[in-house]
Amino acid sequence: MTTTTTRAAKKAVPESRYVPEDGLLLDVEDLHVEFHTADGIAKAINGVSFQLRQGETLAILGESGSGKSVTAQAIMGILDMPPAVIPEGKIRYCGQDLLTMDPEVRRKTRGPEISMIFQDALSSLNPVFPVGWQIAEMFRQHRELNKSDAMNEAVRLMERVQIPAARERVKAYPHQFSGGMRQRIMIAMAIALDPAVLIADEPTTALDVTVQAQIMALLEELQEERKMGLILITHDLGVVADVADRIAVMYAGRLVETADILPLYASPAHPYTRGLLESIPRLDQKGQTLAAIGGLPPNLMRIPQGCAFNPRCRMAQDICRQDRPELREIVSGRFSACHFAEEVIDA
Amino acid sequence: MGTYIIRRVLQMIPVLIGATFLIFVMVFALPGDPTDGKCGERPCSPAYIAEFKKEYNLNDNVFLRYAKYTGIWPTEQGGLLQGNLGKNYNGYKVVDDLKERYPTTAKLALVAIVFEVVIGIAAGVLTGVRKGGFLDNLVLVSTLVVISIPIFVIGALGQYFLGVKAGLFPVTVGSNPSFYELLLPGMVLGSLSIAYVSRLTRTNLVENLRADYVRTAIAKGLTRRRAVGVHALRNSLIPVVTFVGYDFGGLLGGAIVTERIFNIQGVGNYIYRGILNRDGMAVVGAVTVLVFVYLVVNLIVDLLYGVLDPRISHD
Repeated sequence: MTTTTTRAAKKAVPESRYVPEDGLLLDVEDLHVEFHTADGIAKAINGVSFQLRQGETLAILGESGSGKSVTAQAIMGILDMPPAVIPEGKIRYCGQDLLTMDPEVRRKTRGPEISMIFQDALSSLNPVFPVGWQIAEMFRQHRELNKSDAMNEAVRLMERVQIPAARERVKAYPHQFSGGMRQRIMIAMAIALDPAVLIADEPTTALDVTVQAQIMALLEELQEERKMGLILITHDLGVVADVADRIAVMYAGRLVETADILPLYASPAHPYTRGLLESIPRLDQKGQTLAAIGGLPPNLMRIPQGCAFNPRCRMAQDICRQDRPELREIVSGRFSACHFAEEVIDA
Repeated sequence: MGTYIIRRVLQMIPVLIGATFLIFVMVFALPGDPTDGKCGERPCSPAYIAEFKKEYNLNDNVFLRYAKYTGIWPTEQGGLLQGNLGKNYNGYKVVDDLKERYPTTAKLALVAIVFEVVIGIAAGVLTGVRKGGFLDNLVLVSTLVVISIPIFVIGALGQYFLGVKAGLFPVTVGSNPSFYELLLPGMVLGSLSIAYVSRLTRTNLVENLRADYVRTAIAKGLTRRRAVGVHALRNSLIPVVTFVGYDFGGLLGGAIVTERIFNIQGVGNYIYRGILNRDGMAVVGAVTVLVFVYLVVNLIVDLLYGVLDPRISHD
């Protein structure tokens, strides 16, 4: 019985990928994630919905604790459950709900279908195995290639992500590379099996500014080459501006605004987004006090009633403390979860 | 790597000199006369005592004797530096005695090590993967019990219940023992280390299971078995292997208590009898060899550490 299920599971990943006509790769619908801890229930994600199409780059923007990384880990299926619980929601990949999928079938989607890059490449790579071995492991486990073929693939990928002298360095260990090179190795590993969806969780946060730009350029290049759907998670508006097609702004586990990148920069439709944009230091405002969003992000165990942002919002009215605003379309293609979105966008 | 080994070998010289000197001084500072009881019921004749003292340089002061023993002070038969461990007080060469006993001690150490590695790591992995479960608590309590009981109690209990009562194992061990005969003593000898190995494995595994690279392994679509068994375990075993290595070095030094309980004719028993008979030559000779073996094993373990953890460099 067990052997038949494994055999069936092996076939579940098709040779050539089926992508729906409209290019819809990922469809997240009303996702909720809670962490059940000894101190109580922390509601990390409270109803997040978004879609990702082939060749599209979606940036998810938010402060620490806004739930952006948890969203990524929920899609990837690498949350520790428990303490994490997903009480509600669907994550459809090419029409199939990942959350109700057989765990063994879902495991086989990690790598060939959906793949992920993490923030700190040094701790995310195993310190005791050579980098080439770690990349080759993808081919050995998913494609059942032999050792030398897998190693050749690893070299090819290291060359693709522009690691100099890849053939000589394939046997080197992670600590022998610089931060930027390590992140390139992470990227090589993530794209090894040509995934349809790539999730990059703060891929440049741990890097120097110049290296940041190189890594972002590489990601953009790879995405165009392979027509991947890319989810870029960041707290840095500057990083995503050039790369992203759409932006989703998260606050306290909910999307507060989604829009194409240019309209959002030009005129944000949510006070939180506006606060974020105003808090970017600008050369033409040298000498002036930098605007910052006062207060702290809410405690996820006690999210304020009404709009979660209301204690920090300059425009908050009584209605904001009572009714939670839902994400609604303000202008074509622009969504905001603010009672006064129209006023914010015009301001 | 080469220079590291040379440096370490050179460091062994002062350690060996210091260790042998201390043992030498301490052994000959013990009260009692080695000629006592040598001649049956009667006291030995003065002529015999004089001959004995001359033979073993017992009339010299301790420094001169040490110099003669090590061969720094030239003597016709040579000393340690010439590879001569001397004769014990029964007139047999210490080298021959050790050659006869060392295989037994090494076998016993091997049994104990295999036992502690297999059971210790298995227990550590099983408890580390299911932290806080029934098995975890069971192992935690039982290792605590083992750690708190002295080895002579464990040895005597094991001998009585498993050997005498149940008859599963031989109660005592003859000369040139088989591995089967050494199974029970080996388990007794390894029991304390099993506790340490299992706890060390468990602690490291629990810590490494939370590591980012294990999350990466899961994100790579590896089975949980592979993520834990290859990625987390490989890192968790580095300190365990080191501990086991040092422990093996210690066990090769003989196990006086265990060898006494089961009457195993190993190095530990030899040293015990040497101390009892005030046979300074036997004790010093045996301990010198043990110190040397321990130093060599330590060096091998340190080199192995560099192989296991590529971040450690011996340059």
